[in-house]
Amino acid sequence: MMTGKRLIVSALLLALVQIGFLSWIIAGRAAILRNGTEVLLKVVTVAPRDLLRGDFIYLSSDISRIPVKLIANIPAGQNASHDGPIAVRLKKDADGYWRAVAAWLDKAPAAAGADEVDIVGYIAAGRNLSSDPDATVSPDYGIERFYLPEGEGMAIQNDMRVRPFGIRAAIAKDGTAQIKALMDGDKTLFTEPLY
Amino acid sequence: MAGYSTRVRKDIARWAEAGFIDAATAGLLARDVEENERRSLSFGSILAMMAALLFGAAILIFVAANWEAFPRIARVAMLFAIILGGYVGGAVLKTQRRAAVGEALWIVAAAAFGGSIALIGQMYHLSGDEASAMVTWGAGTALAALALRSSPLTVAAVGIADAWLVLSLVGSFDIFRSLDIPQFFAAASLLLFGLSFWTRSQPARHLIILSLIFYTATLAVDHNTIAVAAALAAVSAGAFAVAVLAPEPVDKILQLGGRLPLHALIGFLTGMAMIQFERIDGGGFAVAAAVTLAGIAASIVLAGRDSRGLRWLAYAGFGLELCLIYAVTMETMLGTAGFFLAAAVILSVLAIAVIRIEKRMNKAPSGKGAAA
Repeated sequence: MMTGKRLIVSALLLALVQIGFLSWIIAGRAAILRNGTEVLLKVVTVAPRDLLRGDFIYLSSDISRIPVKLIANIPAGQNASHDGPIAVRLKKDADGYWRAVAAWLDKAPAAAGADEVDIVGYIAAGRNLSSDPDATVSPDYGIERFYLPEGEGMAIQNDMRVRPFGIRAAIAKDGTAQIKALMDGDKTLFTEPLY
Repeated sequence: MAGYSTRVRKDIARWAEAGFIDAATAGLLARDVEENERRSLSFGSILAMMAALLFGAAILIFVAANWEAFPRIARVAMLFAIILGGYVGGAVLKTQRRAAVGEALWIVAAAAFGGSIALIGQMYHLSGDEASAMVTWGAGTALAALALRSSPLTVAAVGIADAWLVLSLVGSFDIFRSLDIPQFFAAASLLLFGLSFWTRSQPARHLIILSLIFYTATLAVDHNTIAVAAALAAVSAGAFAVAVLAPEPVDKILQLGGRLPLHALIGFLTGMAMIQFERIDGGGFAVAAAVTLAGIAASIVLAGRDSRGLRWLAYAGFGLELCLIYAVTMETMLGTAGFFLAAAVILSVLAIAVIRIEKRMNKAPSGKGAAA
């Protein structure tokens, strides 16, 4: 049995460690929202439910599939991907949406230009990297889900079938992306406060 | 245990009637049994723990509902307050000898930690499934168990690890692909097993062993069924043998309350059942079935006397095995009939031999038993 005072001190420290850990995650995410470069991505979706976080819509954007021919640095003879990061360079198109213009396995060789930004995603091992002209890879950027108040997922999903939706995302210097807002055409549906 | 105390009270009454002990001793013994029973079984603490689990579930589903009437910053603040109040308040209560309520508050705090992780994931739309959030939650709960030396928190951490295993399996389920089995589970189980000695949590150890048997079974389904299942059965049989041959040293090390044979039998039956299902149409089913029956008989003879749970498990296993063999039918019905006949004859011979031995053993030490 631990002595009384020590137990209470342990409990206090434990609570502070756990709260500190959680606050650290929140602060990191809020920093991306505040300082990241903002991009607009076109999305389509389906709406399931998560046991812990509730209703969400899956977001599949223009950059969810990257043609293999965009990837500039595939080593000769490598036909399948390894588990690891992929840097995708985005550029704003005339219609306002950002689209992929180039991609590199691991890291981009040079910093993005003035009107460009690099987003970092992860690709799983074993994806087809052959020179097949239709081959694509599907990186995970960590912006594939949008959580909604209970019951609102279905309505948005139905609207998304008939007209284009988008997300505004903030991208940090290291390429980590964070959803900022869900857009119905030009109209902002949900804007995320920093906290 | 209510069953034990009821039996002892009957025995005390019988001894008093037969004149072995006087009425005063009988009264003393009966009172002692009653007091010990109360100490070992507290319905209050069980209800407190159930209430804590309900609170925890309420917190989690409240977060999942993503109710907009509460600004999210208020939700975060509320969860942080529950974490702080739960851990510290529980510790204060524990030092005031209200351990049951204290432990229950700690469980609520651990649930609030899990709820906070989910809430942050929801706030910032973090992709990744429930399973990945659960790793963090389980680690935080294990840390809490370590810091507070709490048995219920250890069990909770094992429970979260189990939920994570199941969710990862369900999440990766695809008929056309092999399962994505989280190997990390085995490592996490070993760590939690070690933690359970520090927190003196026997229930956690039981749960971990059962989880590992389940985990091995999923491995067997995914990989080479026969090899993994045979290894499970063999290791279980070995554990059973060690537990029966050297019960005291084994229990001193593992501290399972003498229930290792029970776990070993569960592991053995699981492994053998998988081998038989795999071999239903192929050769070797008869051999596997014979080994299973022999194992069940051996477990009853070797360890059935000391454990009612083990006896019932062995009976249930025997019944299921009988149904399985009957349904599968080896080669021909005539062949199955022959197998049953042979097994029946062997068991009869064994029964006669064991009854003889038991009679002789009862005769020999009866004088010594009365003297001791």
